Amino acid sequence: MYSAEISRKNPGCFIFLLDQSASMEDPFGSSSDRRKADELATIINKLLHNLSIRCAKGDSIYDYFHVSVIGYGQDSVVKSAFDGPLTGKDLVPISELANNPLRIDDRVKKTDDGAGGLVEQSVKFPLWFEAKHAGGTPMVGAFKMAADIVQRWVAEHAKGFAPIVINITDGEATDGDPVPEAKALGSLGTDDGATLLFNIHLSSTAGNPIELPASADALPDKFSKQLFEMSSNLTPFMIARAKELGMPADEGARGFVFNAQPVQVIQFLDIGTRPANLR
Amino acid sequence: MIDALHPTSQAPFSVEAFSCQKAGNARTEYEDAWAIRGSDSPTRCRVAVADGATESSFSALWAALLVESFVRGPSHGAEFFGRLGAIRRLWRRKVRGRPLPWYAAEKVRRGAYAAFVGASLNAVNRGWRAVAIGDCCLLHVTGRAPKLELAHAFPLTRSEEFGSSPFLVGSVKRSDDDPVPHVRVTEGVLQGNDALFFASDALAAWLLRRAEKGEPAWEAIGPEGIQTQQDFEALVALAREEGTRNDDMTLVRLTRRANGGG
Repeated sequence: MYSAEISRKNPGCFIFLLDQSASMEDPFGSSSDRRKADELATIINKLLHNLSIRCAKGDSIYDYFHVSVIGYGQDSVVKSAFDGPLTGKDLVPISELANNPLRIDDRVKKTDDGAGGLVEQSVKFPLWFEAKHAGGTPMVGAFKMAADIVQRWVAEHAKGFAPIVINITDGEATDGDPVPEAKALGSLGTDDGATLLFNIHLSSTAGNPIELPASADALPDKFSKQLFEMSSNLTPFMIARAKELGMPADEGARGFVFNAQPVQVIQFLDIGTRPANLR
Repeated sequence: MIDALHPTSQAPFSVEAFSCQKAGNARTEYEDAWAIRGSDSPTRCRVAVADGATESSFSALWAALLVESFVRGPSHGAEFFGRLGAIRRLWRRKVRGRPLPWYAAEKVRRGAYAAFVGASLNAVNRGWRAVAIGDCCLLHVTGRAPKLELAHAFPLTRSEEFGSSPFLVGSVKRSDDDPVPHVRVTEGVLQGNDALFFASDALAAWLLRRAEKGEPAWEAIGPEGIQTQQDFEALVALAREEGTRNDDMTLVRLTRRANGGG
């Protein structure tokens, strides 16, 4: 299980669900100056940046992954979150995504000069998403749309690595109980395993970050406990990767983080989007 | 492909290389590299194998530059990894100077990575010295078929030691990425009909796993086991059937000639 090779002929499928509801305008954790929506935009842009670079090979990019980004909340609807040239598309090869950001900024990055110092380098920094926050939190609808995409995907890729769905939210669904839909999503899969659902909880509740827990005991509220319950166990490969990165990941660790700092969230996404070695 | 070196009758060593790309990939996507030099010299024979990391860009080029520099350059000990400046500059010159999309440029900035094993051999005293970083392996096999035994495996000795993230040598110098502390060095002496095999990680892991289970391993890669590229491809297919990761595979086989050298 969870061992199918990922290659251009047998690509992986990632679906990211972004909570873009009005409550995402609230501050993140105990911070007063960082809104959850800003946090989310930073995270998803960095994630797509990392995924694109991981698939870059020589002067081109290999379609190891097909990627969907679904937004839920804007006008209380669920739809593809892409803007610009990708508007309306619900699942795109990574090459199409990498070649069509909303814009590419020039930034100066300080990098290691190899002799213990830093040197400034100009780098291109693509952005796909701006912060958005309006409407309710139709998380149930988001899981339904993810299930539709997964169903189509697994019909065409029965022997592929199981789809991975990552939901980033402040945890408060407004269109019903998301647990049954999450379970329905988890009942779909390929010959290699059931769909993996991971959750990132950007809470307004102040609290210590909790990463990859194996139980819900330390979680502070019902929303975080609910998201934990909906989260799949990490695969053995992901647990090994988490340990390499110095993250706590015991037997039974779930793909769930609560109020983690952006660096930890990006690390988590690195783990959660690393199903296996690429060919 | 087979690269018999057409050794002269005086050549103390016979060296052959076999390689195979990942199943489903084009030959041009092969990212291992090997180099052999001086198999006709009694004291300056060198062999190296490197495995360019799939997840880095232009890693085949980096692997090729490493092995060529090792067999042609003045350093064949741990100091080789302390003098990578010229090789890194060459890699940079070859990959820059072309317009690249943002993701390709960023990946170049992060550098290419490779595992490496290289050895120098002396036919006069039959000694060999090897250096390695990562999980490309040297396997010293002794005895006569069918009683072949592994005398020395380097730098990894057991199949379970092969993981997915060994330390690799990078094409971009970083202060937190210095390869020198990770260099492993060893040496040995060839006896009688001993052979040295150099293998990239997936093949080395499979061979060690077979040997640990008491299954034929060394006979399969000796001169009787592999004579042609088709023989090697059949061996690779068997390894993959037995669950070996789909990876590039490279084997360099070095044997002493009966009347050669010392």
